Parts: sequence; C-alpha cells; structure tokens
Amino acid sequence: MKNKLALLTLSAQKINRQHVQLIFVLVSLAMLVLGTGAPTDGGGVGR
Amino acid sequence: MILLLALAAGLLAGLVWARWRGSPYQTPELGYLWLVFVAFLPQFVVIYLPISRENFPVWLVPGCLLTSQVMLLGFAWLNRRILGMPVLICGVTLNLVVMASNSGFMPISPQTASRLVSEDRLLDIQPGNRIGAKDILLHPQDTRFEWLADRFLPPIWFPYQAAFSLGDILIALGVFWMLARPRSPLQFTNRGTQT
Repeated sequence: MKNKLALLTLSAQKINRQHVQLIFVLVSLAMLVLGTGAPTDGGGVGR
Repeated sequence: MILLLALAAGLLAGLVWARWRGSPYQTPELGYLWLVFVAFLPQFVVIYLPISRENFPVWLVPGCLLTSQVMLLGFAWLNRRILGMPVLICGVTLNLVVMASNSGFMPISPQTASRLVSEDRLLDIQPGNRIGAKDILLHPQDTRFEWLADRFLPPIWFPYQAAFSLGDILIALGVFWMLARPRSPLQFTNRGTQT
C-alpha cells in the first residue's frame, strides 16, 4: 500500500513537472514572438 | 495576436502528431529561458503596462524596443540548434534591420494602414508619427527597406485583420515548426546533439 502511494506521488510529481515545463516554454515562446514580431492591427492608433 | 495564432497552431499540430505516433509530446529543449523574461521587460514597460506606457518618455521608446529585440535575438541565437529556430532568427533579423533603419519602429504605409483603421482616424496621423504599438506611418518612398515593412495583409474575409512583414512570416513559420516537430528523428543521431 505504501509502495503504491509512493508510486502515485512520484507519477503525480512527474506529470506536474512536465506540464510546468511546457507552460514555461510556451510563455517564453509567446514573449519571444510578441517581442520580436511587429504586426499591427491598428490597435492603439492615435496614442 | 497573429503570431500567437502560429504558436497555438504549432502546439496543436505537435500534440496531434505525438498522439498519432502514440508517443508523449516532447517540449522543445530551450535553454537560457531567463533571458527571454529579462529581454521582454523593456517592451512590457513601454508598450503593455498602461501606467508606464502613458508616462514613458517618447524618445526612449525606440531604444527600448531595439535593445529588447537584440536581447531576444541573442536568446534565439543561443538556442539556434532547436528545430525551427534558424528560421525564426532570420525573421527576427529582418524585422530588426527594417526597424533600426526607420527610427526604431516598423514602417507601415498609409495605403496598408487604411485597411486597419478608419479614414478619419488615419487623417489625424501625420506620416512620420507612430501608429499602433511598434509601427510608424511612412510613405513607401520614405521607407528604408520597404520590402521588409508591414506590407502584407490577410484576405478581406479573414476575421482578424493585421498587417505583417516578411520577418513576421518567418517568425511564425519558425515557432510553428519548433512546436509542431520539437524533436525531429534526425536529432537522435550522434550528429544531432543539442546544447
């Protein structure tokens, strides 16, 4: 029982870490493309 | 927005591809992620943060934008071995060249801008003035590297209208490729090692 619980905890930690890594990479790539790209949709015109 | 769509499309394609192959989706192994946050900060302050955006000295904006983009280019260069990153680097470089050559902003012609804003609002903006967050309204004859400017538009029926440049196209392709195929089979050979 204890072993199963430990295995479950380990699996949960692994899944969360992978998700966190993916989110971190996506946020970084989003900032990269927002920062380096310069498309304009007319928003903020006249500021 | 349009570049974020490319990011989302790349992620979706990558997830579908991984599911089809029966393997888990593998995130691209990007290094020096802290550099992105540091590099993006100047743009966040001058463009996205309302309080500072209104009060920031106008003459400092081009310098902040270009400095930020150079640092982001540095991050991309440090991760140049990631699939798709060389294409993105080309796009960033093209955008940097045209912006640095035109007072630090991306030039857009009045003809192109007329598709995005009303004629009345456009009449209030003189050529040579800012339009949008990173753009400057310039006649083609006054634009350096005009072929790299925000000159492309989606079809009129497309729900989201935005002008984009050749550099933006390469950035979109690069990030799409990066997320759609983060681990190419070629990278598992001895020659395909990543930093």
